[in-house]
Amino acid sequence: MRDRRAFLKTSLTAATLAASGVPISGFLRSARAAEGPLVVGAPLPISGAFAANGKYASLGAAFAAKEAGSVLGRTVTIADIDTEGKPAPAARKMQEAMAQGTRLFAGGILSSEALVMGKEAAKSDAVFITTAGADEITGSDCNRGTFRWTVPTFGAIAQTVRPLIAQMPQAKRWYTITPQYVFGEGLLSAAKAVFQEKGIEHVGNSYHSLAEKEFSGYLTNAIAAKPDVLLLLNFGSQSSDALRQAVSFGLKKRMTIVLAWASGLEQFEALGADLCEGVYFGAQYWHGIDSPLNKALVAKVRETAKMTPNYSFAGSYQITKLLLDAATKAGSADGPAVIKALEGLRYAGLTGEEEIRAADHQVIKDYYLLKGKAKSAMKDKDDFAEVIQSGKSFLSPEAAGCKMA
Amino acid sequence: MIPFLDRPLVQFGLALATVLILPLAMRSGTLASEILIFGLAVAACNLLLGYTGLLSFGQGIFFGLGSYVAGLGLMRAGLPAPVMLLLSLALGALVAAAVGWVSIRRQGVYFVMLTLAFSQMFYFLAYTFSGVTGGDNGLLDIPRPRLGGTVLSDAWTYYAYVAVLFLVLFATLQRVALSTFGRTLLAIRDNEGRAGAIGYPVRAFKVAAFAISGAVTALAGALHAMLIGVAPLSNIDYHTSETLLIMTIIGGSANLFASLLGAGAYLLAADALSAIWPRWLLLLGLLLIVITLFLQRGLWGLIERAVALVTRTPPPAESLPLPLVGRGQGWGWRRQPPPVEGHPATPTANSSPQGGGGQPGARPAPEANR
Repeated sequence: MRDRRAFLKTSLTAATLAASGVPISGFLRSARAAEGPLVVGAPLPISGAFAANGKYASLGAAFAAKEAGSVLGRTVTIADIDTEGKPAPAARKMQEAMAQGTRLFAGGILSSEALVMGKEAAKSDAVFITTAGADEITGSDCNRGTFRWTVPTFGAIAQTVRPLIAQMPQAKRWYTITPQYVFGEGLLSAAKAVFQEKGIEHVGNSYHSLAEKEFSGYLTNAIAAKPDVLLLLNFGSQSSDALRQAVSFGLKKRMTIVLAWASGLEQFEALGADLCEGVYFGAQYWHGIDSPLNKALVAKVRETAKMTPNYSFAGSYQITKLLLDAATKAGSADGPAVIKALEGLRYAGLTGEEEIRAADHQVIKDYYLLKGKAKSAMKDKDDFAEVIQSGKSFLSPEAAGCKMA
Repeated sequence: MIPFLDRPLVQFGLALATVLILPLAMRSGTLASEILIFGLAVAACNLLLGYTGLLSFGQGIFFGLGSYVAGLGLMRAGLPAPVMLLLSLALGALVAAAVGWVSIRRQGVYFVMLTLAFSQMFYFLAYTFSGVTGGDNGLLDIPRPRLGGTVLSDAWTYYAYVAVLFLVLFATLQRVALSTFGRTLLAIRDNEGRAGAIGYPVRAFKVAAFAISGAVTALAGALHAMLIGVAPLSNIDYHTSETLLIMTIIGGSANLFASLLGAGAYLLAADALSAIWPRWLLLLGLLLIVITLFLQRGLWGLIERAVALVTRTPPPAESLPLPLVGRGQGWGWRRQPPPVEGHPATPTANSSPQGGGGQPGARPAPEANR
């Protein structure tokens, strides 16, 4: 009875307002304000082996939320969801968050957890945007609810190996060290394709497991093969360990070292300038990128948080901002409406002009080739590298294997 | 320790009460389901650790195997869920029997190392055959089961499905633990040499314990895969074995309900603490140290103490093992009263569990009391 009265009262008020010329959208906005805050889930590895990345990503999401303030008349709130870096807790906690009504998610640093969370989002008409690396996210396992900001393995290799081949035509012998899982295999097959096309001799490859910490055996094999270039295709602490050991073996003097998928500023800080000097790094993001949004972000973060945004921070900031901008554009925070607003969206992103491809939900953005600077050449404590080159290289959605359901 | 609490019907009643209370006390049906699923896997682990004295790091193999059976059975072979669950039981038993058959050939540290080696081997098998297992990405899109044409997509509906299976398997495990077979496992745990000397085929019993434990763990793995919709590589990792062992020790290995307690406490603590502090695993380490030093009967020991306080019965001793007294087969176990002070409670030769011992509250041979 009370409900019917309330309904009649609301309808009457709306009709009166409409008749009196008060914009209905304003009325609806205030109605939405009553819905409470707009919650954006940030499913990140806040504990576990990747907690450091999760911490920065969480800060990035919070920064985007604070910057936006309110969207659709609702205060933006970030709900950190600790995935523990494992797919099982990630899936469970996504289910729980969606049961509580959250429909917008930005996070998922590790590929295995991101794939699972994308599937969960798609089941419940939610939106999940990630910075994870596995090609399948916008390839064979693409789905309506999942978007990815990062450049997949094909683009990472194209924007690191190709320019270096052009820059060093005399370097004809390349050796690779690859982690034996899907991500590493993706990078390796893309590298092999470029080698074949450019007439490069792939003088050898060493596979290692996901748990490997000791690379001296692989490096000895690499030295024996006498390559001109050592291409490291591993990620995170494994790439740092491999690089550290390669430098201590004196490989930097004997050959060019390239790390195809670096994890950004945090990795440079961990390695130090002396180790990074003269080494080439592929990167999704660098704080020195010359774009209006990046300059503004770096300035603001330096001013307010007294730090320079690294990849985890910036990536998370960008994807959270994307969700909020799309919700504003759609005039709704519902999953399907936000998905529609994101598809085909062109925007000024951290890496310059970026676009979300509607066919596979892949963001088309630049990938960067950096070169480690000498300590004496660094302008400030974070100026570890200079951007040598950047560009966009992507497989077509069909070639990537995406069949959007 | 508190005879009333150890009665099988009371134990089952506690499990039933937990199953009924969880939906009232918790907001998340997914977490509640996970508690029951891990409760099952931990109870199966307890059958090896608490009842047979086998500290196995291989439980993750069977949990992961069950997850993969769910993924492959439901998605690729198109099997109905009940058939897939039976298949996971059978395969879990088969693989566990094989792992157990090899591992029990050695004792103590060597037994632990063998189970650890098997654990690593199966992990890398799953990792290498990514065409079958999905490798690092796991098997995705595993559907929930159907019941009467309806997919159990709602978290609490699936919880009900898991709850029924949990209660059936809990009762089955209880039955196993209380049967002559279960009593013989206790005898083997407490004094393997003596059990063998009086004619029990010790190895066959241990392999059978492995098979039962593996079957139940695999079924739990299959239920878990259907819960989260994925069979991740991490389910077959040795960390899963480690987690199951930690849950067993936290709950206490005195009985099967303690296993549910251990699983629930671990998962709820992980859920709450991880949101507060990224390094919550440190707290878990502290908790384990406290339990190992002062609460060898785990959280169940705390409950016993609380009940002892309320009922004004003598408090249970943490480090003083008490003998079990068989009152015949079936549901009628009780414990002997504490020994007289100054009188040796148990011959020290009794305590030689495999895996370096460490079974909290190791009890003397039941056959001595027959």
